[in-house]
Amino acid sequence: MNGHRGRKLIALLGDRRLAWLGLLLAAVLALPAARALLEASMWRHMVLQYPLWMLAGALLAGGLSAHARERLARWNASGISGLLLAGTVLAVLMIPRVLDLALVAPAVELAKCSALLTAGAALRLSWRQAGLVAQGFFLGNMLLMGAVVGQLYAQSPLRLCNAYLLGDQERLGQWLTAISTMVALLWLAQVFWWVARRDADTGRMAGPQAPQDAAARTGSSAPSPQSP
Amino acid sequence: MVLRTALISLLVAIGGYLAASWLTHDFRVWTEEGARRLEVALAPVPLPDVALQGTLLPAPTLAAAARGSVTIADFFYTRCQTVCLSLGSTFQQLQAQLQAEPARAGAAPLRLLSLSFDGAHDSAPVLQAYADKLGADADLWRFASVPDAVQQRALLERLGVVVIPDELGEFEHNAALLVFDTQGRMVRVFDLAEQELALNYARQLASKRS
Repeated sequence: MNGHRGRKLIALLGDRRLAWLGLLLAAVLALPAARALLEASMWRHMVLQYPLWMLAGALLAGGLSAHARERLARWNASGISGLLLAGTVLAVLMIPRVLDLALVAPAVELAKCSALLTAGAALRLSWRQAGLVAQGFFLGNMLLMGAVVGQLYAQSPLRLCNAYLLGDQERLGQWLTAISTMVALLWLAQVFWWVARRDADTGRMAGPQAPQDAAARTGSSAPSPQSP
Repeated sequence: MVLRTALISLLVAIGGYLAASWLTHDFRVWTEEGARRLEVALAPVPLPDVALQGTLLPAPTLAAAARGSVTIADFFYTRCQTVCLSLGSTFQQLQAQLQAEPARAGAAPLRLLSLSFDGAHDSAPVLQAYADKLGADADLWRFASVPDAVQQRALLERLGVVVIPDELGEFEHNAALLVFDTQGRMVRVFDLAEQELALNYARQLASKRS
């Protein structure tokens, strides 16, 4: 999703082929062996297994027909409902009890994995439609939550999950904080690059304004909402 | 399109709220341990009839041994070097308090019970030696373990005790003070730091015997 190179890669492989890859990834993740490996430690459970399921969902969403996408988009003006869905799923799944329950209650594990799959797909179908302002709002909330929850996990003197050790919990907290910070910086860099390119474009054209710049202009005037 | 988006967003928000409120028992607990303690307080858990081995047990099974007295119990294992040591000293203090203040007439007796989750190693003689080392009053403070592995797993599961191996080759578990009532049910789970609260609660429970 990151800029031109990602788009080029997607074009090279083809959305259809990537959707098969997503299906394969989902199938592998659902294997008991993969579950056991990823859920054996707390940090792998949250910062490895969660994003992998979301990636599978995003890849699968790419395989949707144009018709299906259009029908879905009718319920997803400016990607708002999609971003809200992804945000809600992530917020709920960060409650420590989920990690414990997912290990012992198959229904919770199933709900967790399908929610992550759906969240990944929703992000894929909503991200570009959302524009910089909504993206910034979404990331501002999510990354701040990630960093705060990360600090809580890292600094709690109590074990928050019965199934995981305290050291594991600390590592997860550090990962969450680090990843949130990294994503914030990457997104900011992308925004700056975008703005610089737009300025260069408008400078070259000097006068007749390009219509696709409207979204970027509103975005650049918004304050950068995050930096945990 | 905007209306549909608003509708679906509302549904998503409601769904998220319901899921979170179910997970957290109406936003009262955030961890599985918190949920376990709340659930026990709301609905007592009958002790399973697992066969025990140990020191001076009044009956051969846990449910029967717990009946007739109020018990403060904990889980431990004798080879433990970490948390169990502090559990041991907590129980030594509880024992001292019980010895200093004998039960009132008419009240049910109050006992301490240390349950080992290492039934394969902690046989009756091992437990006896451990009890002697801690200076346990044989009548007040009993030690027991479940020799049968299947029954032991059932007991841990029923009482919500999760034991996991740690990096040092020891075992970590959600250590707590469990209170059993005179009918052989687990009625409350207290934090290790809530020793006074657990004792007062147990005393209250014992004096209420009808």
